Amino acid sequence: MKQTAEIEEIVGRLAAIAEDPNAYAVEWKARTQRKIIGILPMNFPAEIVHAAGALPVLVQEDNAAITYGRSLLFEFYCGYTRSLVDQAATGKLKIYDGIFLVDHCVALLGAVDAIRFEVPDLPVFLAQFTASMDEDTTRPQVHGRITELRERLEELCGSSVTDEAICRSIEAYNRDRALLRRVYEMRRLGRISLSSRQMQALVKSAMVMDVDEHSQIMTRLVAHLEAGSVHSTGLVKLHLSGHFCHAPRPELLDMIESCGVAVVDDDVYTGYRYISTDVPHKADPITALTQWYFDRNDNVPCSTRAQKSADWESYLANAVEKNGAEGVIVLVAKFCEPHMLYYPELRKELHKRGIPHLLIETEHEGLALEMLKTRVEALIEGIRRSVLSRETA
Amino acid sequence: MSATMEQAKPGQGHQRTAPLANRLMSTRSGGKMVKDYWDNLFSARERGAKVVWYNGAAINPILQAAGVEWCHGEAFGARLAAMHLEAPAQYASESYGYINELCSYARTTLGCALLTKQEMADKVEMDNTPGIPSKEVLASRLPAPDLFVNAYAGCSTGQQWDEISYRMFNKELPFFKVSYPLLWGNKPDAGYLRGEEWEAASRYVANQLHKLIEFLEHETGRPFDWEGLRESMYYIKRASELRMDALNLCKSKPAPAVFWDWVASIAPINFLPGNQALVDYFAEVKTEIKERLAAGVAALPGERYRLAFDGIMNWNRVGWLANKFAEHDAAVVCGRYTHNSFWHEPQLIDPDDPILGMAQHYLLCPFNHSTKNLAEMILRDCETYGIDGIVFHATRTCRSASNGQLLLAQMAQKKGLQTMFFEGDVADESFYKDEVLQSRLEAMLETIDVQRNRSA
Repeated sequence: MKQTAEIEEIVGRLAAIAEDPNAYAVEWKARTQRKIIGILPMNFPAEIVHAAGALPVLVQEDNAAITYGRSLLFEFYCGYTRSLVDQAATGKLKIYDGIFLVDHCVALLGAVDAIRFEVPDLPVFLAQFTASMDEDTTRPQVHGRITELRERLEELCGSSVTDEAICRSIEAYNRDRALLRRVYEMRRLGRISLSSRQMQALVKSAMVMDVDEHSQIMTRLVAHLEAGSVHSTGLVKLHLSGHFCHAPRPELLDMIESCGVAVVDDDVYTGYRYISTDVPHKADPITALTQWYFDRNDNVPCSTRAQKSADWESYLANAVEKNGAEGVIVLVAKFCEPHMLYYPELRKELHKRGIPHLLIETEHEGLALEMLKTRVEALIEGIRRSVLSRETA
Repeated sequence: MSATMEQAKPGQGHQRTAPLANRLMSTRSGGKMVKDYWDNLFSARERGAKVVWYNGAAINPILQAAGVEWCHGEAFGARLAAMHLEAPAQYASESYGYINELCSYARTTLGCALLTKQEMADKVEMDNTPGIPSKEVLASRLPAPDLFVNAYAGCSTGQQWDEISYRMFNKELPFFKVSYPLLWGNKPDAGYLRGEEWEAASRYVANQLHKLIEFLEHETGRPFDWEGLRESMYYIKRASELRMDALNLCKSKPAPAVFWDWVASIAPINFLPGNQALVDYFAEVKTEIKERLAAGVAALPGERYRLAFDGIMNWNRVGWLANKFAEHDAAVVCGRYTHNSFWHEPQLIDPDDPILGMAQHYLLCPFNHSTKNLAEMILRDCETYGIDGIVFHATRTCRSASNGQLLLAQMAQKKGLQTMFFEGDVADESFYKDEVLQSRLEAMLETIDVQRNRSA
């Protein structure tokens, strides 16, 4: 019991920070007198900001309804970009000393341009990473962009960003990712019973907290989890897939699990996609961060990148076969074009391999949870019947 | 009171038939050139030609010099929509699993790919949805590709959709991608055609074009025809100069030609071969405009308002919109898509050494700019053409065309320009609501009237 209480306490603490990252960041700044840099998904190397002595905070979707942001970005943009712009329009981005990004998503770029317009005094820096991974011109271009990031951060933070500092930051982030991946591994093995809401809190807090502080907490958590017992739940095992850039609402995850489901794995951004890949050890840390960009897409392919040799659909189906999930719920943030484009490829592969799946579109303004629950229940019912008919055959 | 209300007023005895847009006659030959181009392309396989499917920038001069035939996906999607023949392709893509909020160009073009595959293999890879058309429809007539080139500036979706086309054809075909940095402007010296970032981006893209040429040489097994490229860029430069001259003539009040005439001229400058015929076409357009000016013929005889159109075209509704604005005596004189696009800076093209100027034009895609750059271009045009108000086409499934529009409207309003928005789409007419356009247009024109009365 004590073990469980300790786990609840640690996860609760991280969840509170994940719930209100601005409060954490403001407190951190007051404590350290250093700068806070808002970074945007999904390929930003946080290590370079950390090495500059600033706190990289991956700006999250805000729960508030979109109000003033409506005059800056159309309603047919994804909830994340609309929320970003609304945060700018309602003064919530004022805590940041700068906003940095590397991704080329057309909606994200539109949103960030609106942020520049709305908050003209806030430094905003785009170091656009080439998204096509196949051409030999891409690697030097990305290397150059990371070098520009380093220079811009040096200007902003007023100190040089040394190779040694970047290497230390890389080690710190690798350590934290490894701890998170260990929890993921235990979840796949059924050794822990953290809910999806709790798993999300672990990753989301990693996106916004000082990495060393997060690692310390995670080290304690992993020790408690390792000491726990194996759970056999009898629930239907599912894999959650997709949901780029921002976290699906915890109440959606609660609803899914309330239908007799155990989520055993995911490839959502606020999940395994974020922690999948370590930065390799290389003499030149900028080369290492460049390599990380390519490695991530090899490990967990993303449809925002254009790479002939990487297939998200194969990755997903193989992951499901390995983690023992009996079905997949594909979570698409409404208006997310790279996901809408790729969904039929996922569907085709899942059909081919006989893996049941359900598509759910999520929206910023709330979800019709009862209607969605019926659909999830139908998926679970289908899976259960199929298992039953296999057993009785 | 709006123009429409005036015309509708009963019992005044001066009711007139709503005027239609007095469109240029010379652009009709462009329509024939474009039709001939597609008809020729449809027979490419029978002729044993290699076919490239590409999207984005006008890389066709490079493809022409490589000795391959080219199919511009968006152009075909636009053509289908303009002919109201997009539905079969869109049904096909919907049955394949695409959500209708996805870019309608992509949905249409990928639907064409599905229908082309169906025709090729006599095999359907989609659900058996009722309404999938027969093989005779235009959407299924594209020749299957031998290779893909993606060259999409300003839109991440543009790049990703070719990645899907590549997958649809079983990942077996050669595929090359040209990547473009957004003209974003991190540094203080950044601006339209200037600054360190512009120079660096130009060199980066030019380098990729050289790599593209190497790729094409490898795939065709033939040396690239550099002399052929110089020749076609000579013609394109000349055609572009004529087009820009003709656009400039439309500063005249009333305007001798309007936005809708320039929309009709997009296809020729965007993807037809660079040759004498292209030059002749734009020479004829310019001549007709000069003749109109000399004879005092206006595009809208009762021109009362001069408007700018911002956003990508609503291809389903080009003729409809032309007449809708004409009914209100509103001359749409300029637009981002027509005036700041398609080889519109011909001085950048050096026909003897064309690659850098081509790279720069590809970067100048009207959707590859920061809002700051866009404001510089659009507000300059509004001043040049004596614009009263801007009509923003909020293009439902095209975020690259919609980016910055709400900000531009605010900037324009500060300059005393009136603005209005209407929602529509590039190739999906279900997003267009005529009543919304009607009421908003009338409201804007009334405001312009009030503004004029106040300053009179």
